[in-house]
Amino acid sequence: MRTQKGFLISMAAVLAALVVTSVPAAAQGRGGRGGRGGGAPAPVVTPGPIPRTADGKPDLRGTFSGMGEGLTHTVILEDHTSGFGIRGGKSLIIDPANGVIPYQPWALTERDRRREDVNAYEDPVGHCEFYDIGRLHSFAQRFMYSGGNIVIAAQEQIMRVVDMNRKQHLPDSIRLWLGDPIGRWEGDTLVVDTTNFNGKPRMALGGDFYSANAHVVERYTMKDSETITWTMTVDDPTVYTRPWTFTSAAPMTRQRPGSNDWNRALRLIDPAWEHDCHEGNIVLRHMRNVYEQTHGVYGQHPGEPTIKSTGPGPATRPQ
Amino acid sequence: MRNRSITLVVVAVAFAAVASVVLPPASAQAPARTAAFTPPRTADGQPDLQGVWRAWNLAQYDLEDHGAKPGVPAGRGFVVDPPDGKIPYQPWALEKRKKNYEGTHAADPYVNTDPLAKCYLPGIPRLTYLGWPFQIIQTPDDVNFAYEWGHKKRIVPVTDAFGPRPDPEDGLNARWYGMPRGRYEGNSLVVDLTNFNGYTWFDKAGNFHSDALHVVERYTLVGPDALQYEATMEDAKVFTRPWTIRMVLQRQKDVGLLDYECTNMLDALGIHHTWPRDFDVQ
Repeated sequence: MRTQKGFLISMAAVLAALVVTSVPAAAQGRGGRGGRGGGAPAPVVTPGPIPRTADGKPDLRGTFSGMGEGLTHTVILEDHTSGFGIRGGKSLIIDPANGVIPYQPWALTERDRRREDVNAYEDPVGHCEFYDIGRLHSFAQRFMYSGGNIVIAAQEQIMRVVDMNRKQHLPDSIRLWLGDPIGRWEGDTLVVDTTNFNGKPRMALGGDFYSANAHVVERYTMKDSETITWTMTVDDPTVYTRPWTFTSAAPMTRQRPGSNDWNRALRLIDPAWEHDCHEGNIVLRHMRNVYEQTHGVYGQHPGEPTIKSTGPGPATRPQ
Repeated sequence: MRNRSITLVVVAVAFAAVASVVLPPASAQAPARTAAFTPPRTADGQPDLQGVWRAWNLAQYDLEDHGAKPGVPAGRGFVVDPPDGKIPYQPWALEKRKKNYEGTHAADPYVNTDPLAKCYLPGIPRLTYLGWPFQIIQTPDDVNFAYEWGHKKRIVPVTDAFGPRPDPEDGLNARWYGMPRGRYEGNSLVVDLTNFNGYTWFDKAGNFHSDALHVVERYTLVGPDALQYEATMEDAKVFTRPWTIRMVLQRQKDVGLLDYECTNMLDALGIHHTWPRDFDVQ
């Protein structure tokens, strides 16, 4: 794969940029849920029957993660080898059977352009903006029930409110980073139907994307008390030749102290995690320098107004 | 050469966008109401505060009584204690407040004194009445606040699972939102906040605090669609005594939380939010 090493190094820089969030400075009290769990043995849990709410539907409440054995697919959803802190992994795509995203030719060219290491600066996640829905599934998520709706708390402060009462999507003119999710139950499967995207988020650090015209259908199926399987089907005639479906690196499993993704699960329950990110994000400046030096577009990006940045760098900073 | 029209738009994006849609305040200095309304309860017996709430008032501009300013309607303040409605600043701090406000006229977000011009975390209580809606989600363990502005959120524990807070004197323990500990008192959710950093403000008028800030928030349902919000601020470095604001938030029924990605709007205008950590060296 071309420029893969440099690409992965840049991706590692993006990851580093995301690590500037505040960490709990003091170890939490022993016995509380706040224990970091780093040294705790992995819990041995025998799965029980599916917990259910009063209306007989599966009770998804709790914190689950489909990360698997480590961050595998935050960079590339298809088959990929390992490198510089990124684990190799098999394709997450279960349809089509060849495990390759069915891009239209122009879209594949655009995906590969985004994948170039010098363009890593463009990724909104490095700017502390939104992950796409699928990308959230590399990390722990917390399900909460509120006012008849299902709220999914995810990394980087994201809260998805899945509307279980509405049947119609929002008006076409309202466009959102994570779209407008409407949920319904099909047996023990929560089906989340999402439209009204704004086309800005990326599906992976490696540049995979869908457009604002995408229609995303997710299926969360509770298998037992500890396990939820998840698939996501993306239909977008603007970008792909056919709809395609992928899943998380591993089934989503309930997180406890010592579980594989417990440190990220903690961020969804522990008030010490503030998730400041944009504040003091110095790494982004370095990525921008690389981007602008490579493209010769100081302060100007493709598709943006032709204006010079008014944010001065260190040289012009008043002393 | 600075493009003034663009930078003015930036200021609008960062913090003045709601000016044109804010409704007149029904009653700025709302009298305290606590007993008249019996709120619904959650399954575990706590007052059910869940839903989407919004401050349709002028608190985002100035917590004190104020005359009209460019882009800002005149209005009553929200300080109910002390009774004169003024924030009890120490003399030096009153001067700093004045300088803070003068700095908000700068079009360039880099030199604008308002932390919100750079899309920094607005802090508490400012995030409550910034003008964008927020949603309350309650569980038996905690209360989650999801804010539309910048897709911010915070988690307020209502159990003692996390124990005492770390030493607020240690800068490593400082937070933009402070560290919360919550509890229910009758029909109210009370949130005690310490461990603040000193980088956030209270409003666009330059009202500010230090890292010694201690906030006690009190959320009380006073009607089916009315959430009374009280916050008491204590900061021995800046104020001469504690002071309290009070307002009523309204339930938003027509739509849930949408999104408002402040940094992305700066980016789209060519204002790259990659400035040095000025808040570290000021």
